[in-house]
Amino acid sequence: MNAAENGTTHPGAARVGIGGPVGSGKTALVEQLIPRFARRGTGLAVITNDLVTEEDAERLRRGGLIDPDRVVAVEAGACPHTVIREDPTLNLDAADMLDMRFGPLDLILLESGGDNLASTFSLELVDYWMFVIDVAGGGDIPRKRGPGVLLSDLLVVNKADLAPHVGVDLERMVAEAREVRGGKPVVVTNCRTGEAVGTVVEHIVHGVLFDG
Amino acid sequence: MDRPRRRRKRARGPCQDGRGRGIVAAMLRLDAILGLATDDAMRERLHALGHRGAVETVRLERSDMRRRRLRATTDRGTDCAIALPRDARLEDGAVLSIGEDRAIVVRAAGERWLPLRPRDAAAALELGYHAGNLHWRVRFRDGLLEVALEGPERAYLDRLAAFLDDGRARRVE
Ligand SMILES: Nc1nc2c(ncn2[C@@H]2O[C@H](COP(=O)(O)OP(=O)(O)OP(=O)(O)O)[C@@H](O)[C@H]2O)c(=O)[nH]1
Ligand SMILES: [Mg+2]
Repeated sequence: MNAAENGTTHPGAARVGIGGPVGSGKTALVEQLIPRFARRGTGLAVITNDLVTEEDAERLRRGGLIDPDRVVAVEAGACPHTVIREDPTLNLDAADMLDMRFGPLDLILLESGGDNLASTFSLELVDYWMFVIDVAGGGDIPRKRGPGVLLSDLLVVNKADLAPHVGVDLERMVAEAREVRGGKPVVVTNCRTGEAVGTVVEHIVHGVLFDG
Repeated sequence: MDRPRRRRKRARGPCQDGRGRGIVAAMLRLDAILGLATDDAMRERLHALGHRGAVETVRLERSDMRRRRLRATTDRGTDCAIALPRDARLEDGAVLSIGEDRAIVVRAAGERWLPLRPRDAAAALELGYHAGNLHWRVRFRDGLLEVALEGPERAYLDRLAAFLDDGRARRVE
């Protein structure tokens, strides 16, 4: 029995958060995810959270990978974690608007403004969230046990290609990440080439889309 | 409301009645909270099904109860794809499926607390400030500050290392 048949409201699009430190590759990941979801027929929209500009939203709109109207920017002000955790009202409104305007959508991706290792998403706002860290940010990041690294549903370790250039032992970094996360998944990506982004798609499909 | 696109997609998806068909384990879609196990009508039906061992439990951490969409496995190993309306709220005893030969009920895992005893008033002030700074959920009991654990306890103890090391706070039982 699905929602339409039993007379309840449509559950709306799955909402997936993407958080992580400044410059770790969140927008690059979104740019890699868009065509992959498009190819499998997933109805998609994106919300970006920038501090005071619409930089990331503009970049996605200009990219030509998605209907520009389906990219909405929420201004996070000086405190990017507030709008995804303590008071996600602005993002909830944006997601509801996208559901209404383009529904039935399958998926709304929500990029958080770059923050520090402490940012987490409210589960009032998203159904599932990823935390993107990058190899160049330092091999010791998992050991620091920030809440984003520990609590996210999926940890993405991006910029795998940079490991040899910044003297990071990638294998060790990933092993430590798996250990502190107690078995929750970790994916190592290169968001410039798209390497392993397909695995990220699989996790989202398995976790919240259910149409795999 | 007519939603042809989604309908077509769902029809193509894995078998929806929860019974195995082919080699892929069936995924059971659960789209609504049908009632609470304590509701009069539900209680009788669950009781009858229970006698036949046909009530399955999905046990969820407190923190996961806030989700609307999640993948979970029942105590009998049934793979559940839960997708509730956005205004729905899971609670202990929520019935997600009930039929002739099976019911699925959500149970909230007990909340875990980390009890800390500050050495003195000065330490208590600092500990309270520290916990607030980390956005931890806390409660107070008999001079203890208790932190709600939403991840492994070790992760919380790490953040308290300075307090535990110099004795400003102690983990108690
Ligand atoms: N070498 C390499 N560079 C990458 C990779 N992914 C992203 N980058 C680069 O890293 C820089 C930052 O990427 P963004 O996608 O803008 O990062 P972001 O996390 O969205 O940044 P903010 O939104 O400002 O926090 C850009 O110059 C990207 O081209 C990668 O896998 N490898
Ligand atoms: Mg960005």
